[in-house]
Amino acid sequence: MSATEQTPATQSTLKDQIREFIQVQLAEPKGITTFTDEESLMETGVIDSLGIFRLVSFLEEEMRVRVSDEEINAETLKSVNTIEELVIRKRK
Amino acid sequence: MAYILQQLLQKSAARYPEKLAVWARGSSLSYRELEQRSNQLAHLLQERGVRKGDRVGIYFPKCVESVVAMLGIVKAGGVYVPLDPQAPVDRIGYIIGNCGIRVLITREDKRRGLDSATLESLAFTVLIDEAPKSLNGGAVVPWRMLGEYPAESAPQVVLTETDLAYILYTSGSTGRPKGVMLTHQNALTFVEWCADIFKITSDDRLSNHAPLHFDLSVFDVYNALEAGASLYMVTEDLALFPAKLASFIEAQGITIWYSVPSALTLLLLHATLSAEKLNRLRIVLFAGEVFPMKYLQQLAQLLPHVDLFNLYGPTETNVCTYYKVERERLGSMDKLPIGIACENTEVFAVNDQNEIVTEAGGTGELYVRGPSVTHGYWADAEKTKKMVLPNTFQPNFEEKMYRTGDLVQLAEDGNYYFLGRRDSMIKSRGYRIELGEIESALLSHASVKEAVAIAIPDEIVGSRIKAVVSFHDGVTLTAPELQQYCGTRIPRYMIPEAIVFRGQLPKTSTGKVDRVQLAQESMQPAATLVAP
Repeated sequence: MSATEQTPATQSTLKDQIREFIQVQLAEPKGITTFTDEESLMETGVIDSLGIFRLVSFLEEEMRVRVSDEEINAETLKSVNTIEELVIRKRK
Repeated sequence: MAYILQQLLQKSAARYPEKLAVWARGSSLSYRELEQRSNQLAHLLQERGVRKGDRVGIYFPKCVESVVAMLGIVKAGGVYVPLDPQAPVDRIGYIIGNCGIRVLITREDKRRGLDSATLESLAFTVLIDEAPKSLNGGAVVPWRMLGEYPAESAPQVVLTETDLAYILYTSGSTGRPKGVMLTHQNALTFVEWCADIFKITSDDRLSNHAPLHFDLSVFDVYNALEAGASLYMVTEDLALFPAKLASFIEAQGITIWYSVPSALTLLLLHATLSAEKLNRLRIVLFAGEVFPMKYLQQLAQLLPHVDLFNLYGPTETNVCTYYKVERERLGSMDKLPIGIACENTEVFAVNDQNEIVTEAGGTGELYVRGPSVTHGYWADAEKTKKMVLPNTFQPNFEEKMYRTGDLVQLAEDGNYYFLGRRDSMIKSRGYRIELGEIESALLSHASVKEAVAIAIPDEIVGSRIKAVVSFHDGVTLTAPELQQYCGTRIPRYMIPEAIVFRGQLPKTSTGKVDRVQLAQESMQPAATLVAP
């Protein structure tokens, strides 16, 4: 269960959670250790076609936001920063 | 009739100068523009020393300039080598050294990422974006220089259909990729067969889903040029997003789609495909791996107006067999055939007694002969000799045939069925992967004592890769550390997604690592595998 349920996450811990998920679940298994918060996760290959769906499951199950098909696109899921923006927007 | 690839463009540019030739990331080129820019690039390359047979690398994420580069290089008499922009720089450096690339067409960020030894080996690079103010090493030519070269015609180079057109690197079992050499004739044999069987016209719109270092893209690019049709390149901002991709197919009015089955499966599972919206789509081709029957049946039901074809063939033969999906039989089939030989290609299965299989039900290794078959691997006579053999079934004159390493069965209806591999090559998302190459990468780490890579069958991507590793005494590494190390040696699609550590690996009675036992353990649902 996510800690965000009990205590409203501050924006920095939210970003940390997103970054950690991407780091451990998506980047490291591909041998990628460093990526910045701004970098395109698609161009660097951190997110591939199956990674997208793992990311969406993470957002829905851990971050508790509902992501529509239209929101699964290259703009909203581009980088750690844009994913954080999506979560903040959806939680409002 | 065209005997070299650039004639396909020349003909269509004369006939349809204003028609859209290629579209990618919102930019496009008309046939006139594509013809002129590739002429200019050819002059630029030639003026700076590119000669017939010289290898020229193409190293940037695909965009309209990719097609300009491919055509410009062959017009200069060169041989293009598409390099995976996401591959580790070590691998790119290896390929550049292996086939002696001295000229690279690239983007500044990609150029800068290369190691200094590789950069120093290059005579010059052409940048598709603007050159930065300060540069380290080597001459750099910005793309805008093309404007200074003649556009109306290509430079004079004497080429025949037996000259090399491109080299495609695939996974090699000994730990390094190998370069499959393809001639103009190899490519055109396939392109002409496709043009004929799929009746491609200038009204068609072809997708290009596969990366350019992947042989599926040969169909997309050259069959579009052959017909004067339009090519729509699927870039990563679309490829990763099924809902977007479905809207793209609809909005661009794609009529012919070609991809690996896993791309179609993801579309099926995560997008809404409707016959009504995709009413312009008329042909879906798939190749590179086995299409799970369940998803193919769903696809056939969703798109009743579309002809579906399974194409089969290793890069060394491009495509050598095909099967047109028979909807009426689909429900009762549990396996899809790879079909029958394409025209101007002969295939046959050779059994353990070294006889050609003629009886239904017979099995053997599939061999291919004809003008689509490669001459072999760049600078690797030994490997070439093993795979491209003298055709001993035809005694009258010397001729080569290619042994695919694929075991097949001949069915009563004349179709061949794929049974499996002779060796440890596997497929994941259509990519050819030699487990030996992964093992070599793992073993090259100083701490690793033993390593075995295992393919776990997966319904969507074909195979997932796991590894079992033991260390030398006194050293340990974590899975992410080892995965990171692999990332410097092999492409991402080859890196094991899980790595298990053992004190030592189980052995067979002869003292070899027991792969069968390891594979069986890994297949079990609650296997001892630890996620990284």
